[in-house]
Amino acid sequence: MSAASDLLTARIAAEHASALPDLPTSVIGRDRRLQAIGAFSARGLPINRQENWRYANLHTLHHARFTPAQPQATLEPSALPGEIEGYARYIFVDGRFAPELSHHSPHPALTIFTTGTEDTAQHIAAEQELADNRLALLNEAFATDGARIVAADTAHPTCIEVVFVATAAAQGGASYPRLQVTTQAGTRLGFIERHISLGSEANFINAVVNIEVGRGATVDHYRLQQTGAEATWMDTLSARVATDGTYRLHLANLGGQSARSTQQISLAGERASTVLNTVSVAGRLQVHDVFAVIEHAAAATQSEQRFRGVAAQQARVGFNGKVVVRTDAHGAVSRQSLRGLLAGPQAEVDVRPQLEIYTDEVQCSHGATAGKLDENMLFYLLSRGMEPEMAQLLLKWAFLEDVVAKIDLPALRGQVEHALAGQMDDTAALRELL
Amino acid sequence: MNTLLNIDNLHVAVGDKKVLNGLTLQVPAGEVHAIMGPNGSGKSTLAHVLAGRPGYEITAGTVSYQGTDLLALAPEERARAGLFLGFQYPVEIPGVNNVYLLKAAVNAARKQHGLPEVDAFDFLTLVKEKMQLMQIDESFLSRGVNEGFSGGEKKRNEILQMLILEPKLAVLDETDSGLDIDALKIVANGVNSLRAPERSFVLVTHYQRLLDYIVPDRVHVLVRGRIARSGDRELALELERRGYDWISQEAA
Repeated sequence: MSAASDLLTARIAAEHASALPDLPTSVIGRDRRLQAIGAFSARGLPINRQENWRYANLHTLHHARFTPAQPQATLEPSALPGEIEGYARYIFVDGRFAPELSHHSPHPALTIFTTGTEDTAQHIAAEQELADNRLALLNEAFATDGARIVAADTAHPTCIEVVFVATAAAQGGASYPRLQVTTQAGTRLGFIERHISLGSEANFINAVVNIEVGRGATVDHYRLQQTGAEATWMDTLSARVATDGTYRLHLANLGGQSARSTQQISLAGERASTVLNTVSVAGRLQVHDVFAVIEHAAAATQSEQRFRGVAAQQARVGFNGKVVVRTDAHGAVSRQSLRGLLAGPQAEVDVRPQLEIYTDEVQCSHGATAGKLDENMLFYLLSRGMEPEMAQLLLKWAFLEDVVAKIDLPALRGQVEHALAGQMDDTAALRELL
Repeated sequence: MNTLLNIDNLHVAVGDKKVLNGLTLQVPAGEVHAIMGPNGSGKSTLAHVLAGRPGYEITAGTVSYQGTDLLALAPEERARAGLFLGFQYPVEIPGVNNVYLLKAAVNAARKQHGLPEVDAFDFLTLVKEKMQLMQIDESFLSRGVNEGFSGGEKKRNEILQMLILEPKLAVLDETDSGLDIDALKIVANGVNSLRAPERSFVLVTHYQRLLDYIVPDRVHVLVRGRIARSGDRELALELERRGYDWISQEAA
């Protein structure tokens, strides 16, 4: 560990000691909070020299206060992104539930645990044996409110949207989004999770999401990271998929100054499957980094991982996709298609596929590329009379659309496409495509 | 004679390799000229240089198109001025829709000439009509550019684009390669439907077969980067019988 990160780890422990009396024990008990901060302190903050943190921007953490923030602004509902039909929306502001902004009636599948309500949930800073749960431990130690979704209706899909809004400055305090999702056997869940910023403060967000996909259940999880230009967004997601269950994750990583997502998906039961689709678009000095581990722990499990990342200006985009096939996972099928695009001479793209196989009879394929726009494609478009700027934009768009088109909620896909076009600085030129 | 394309003493290198060595060629408006020649003679280089593909160094010579210096124009400017390249290997561009590309191409040329954008409905009607001529399936409309097309479909798509763009000068680079006889007839039919007094074609081809269906006004044989012999369509038939060796030897 470096001296600077040791100091920061110590400062976080001190902040926790003074914040502890005010942290709601009904959300997480005092003992669990102490255990979490103890486990975190023993291991320390991640640093870039550690293998799976090489691409992340961890510097912004040094300017952050880890004590939970007090919500600053009052929000106008009109400032929030458009709702998606059929999805009941619930809103958290700086890690605290905002009932006045949320869907008027409680959803039968949703429990909000907040000050004064009992948290019967288990430990949700899931053990990430393969990835890394250190930041999740910090969430456990400091969390304010949280939500639990339990899909139990086998007759109809459960459709819920949770929006986490950050308003506070990082120097003033952090926000700790916290979600536990459980789907019972044979259920279907559609779940939209957004992270946005309102106002111009440099927020610090440290989220934890834990998902249990039951036997034969299906989860479609749509995650949009659209935090502010100065925000630091840290995220730990873990999912466990039971026999015949399916977990599909769509992540659009757009915002933030520093955005890091650590994901571990365990295919625990036979024929469990997962699809991870990630798009990441970064410009300016943004750093986007995803470390995603898929574990095939049972026979005939299937995984597909797709990544498309574009880095412009001085931005850095990293994707580290690891697949581990355990000894019992006979007949596992795993496919990885990871592609990065450099859209500026000072940009950086790091795409890294990793495969560890401990059994025979598996089909694993992976393709990883990082490069510039295809010269042949570019010339083809120019030879048809297209302006060079437009041709480049169109090819960047097509590169992303390959994965974005897989978002099967048309209204949400439209929102993601508009956000991507905005991020690419040329909404007008792309208007015909939207 | 109204010369549309005038190539004079063109020398082109790729890296250290000289590919065109003093090529001279005039194509009058309304004519179809076939460029034939053995592999490596510089046929495709000529097509690419005319369209402005990067990676070629013009070391000497001039190319004039409609009286202006073609080599001074960027690829997109050449296209908008009415030059069309039919690619030998059309590239697949997943995520860019076929119709979108066609419309963008037409509107780019119209903008150049101060015309308003095409009406979306009229345009689609036109595309469908030309698709019928080229026997291209309706599913084409919703697909990415050349995405998942067979070799023959890609070539037909090139001709479809040409029919819609209505260029002044069409340079078709081995459009016949890899086509079965039915597809060859469809392609030839498309080209012939566009023949007009103000429009010229440069057909780059290795085999005489295409010229059974598209009858050229002139045939030129390219050997080691320059035109070794020119004639009418009889020359193509002679090449079919005798091969290229005798001309190569003559040129040497």
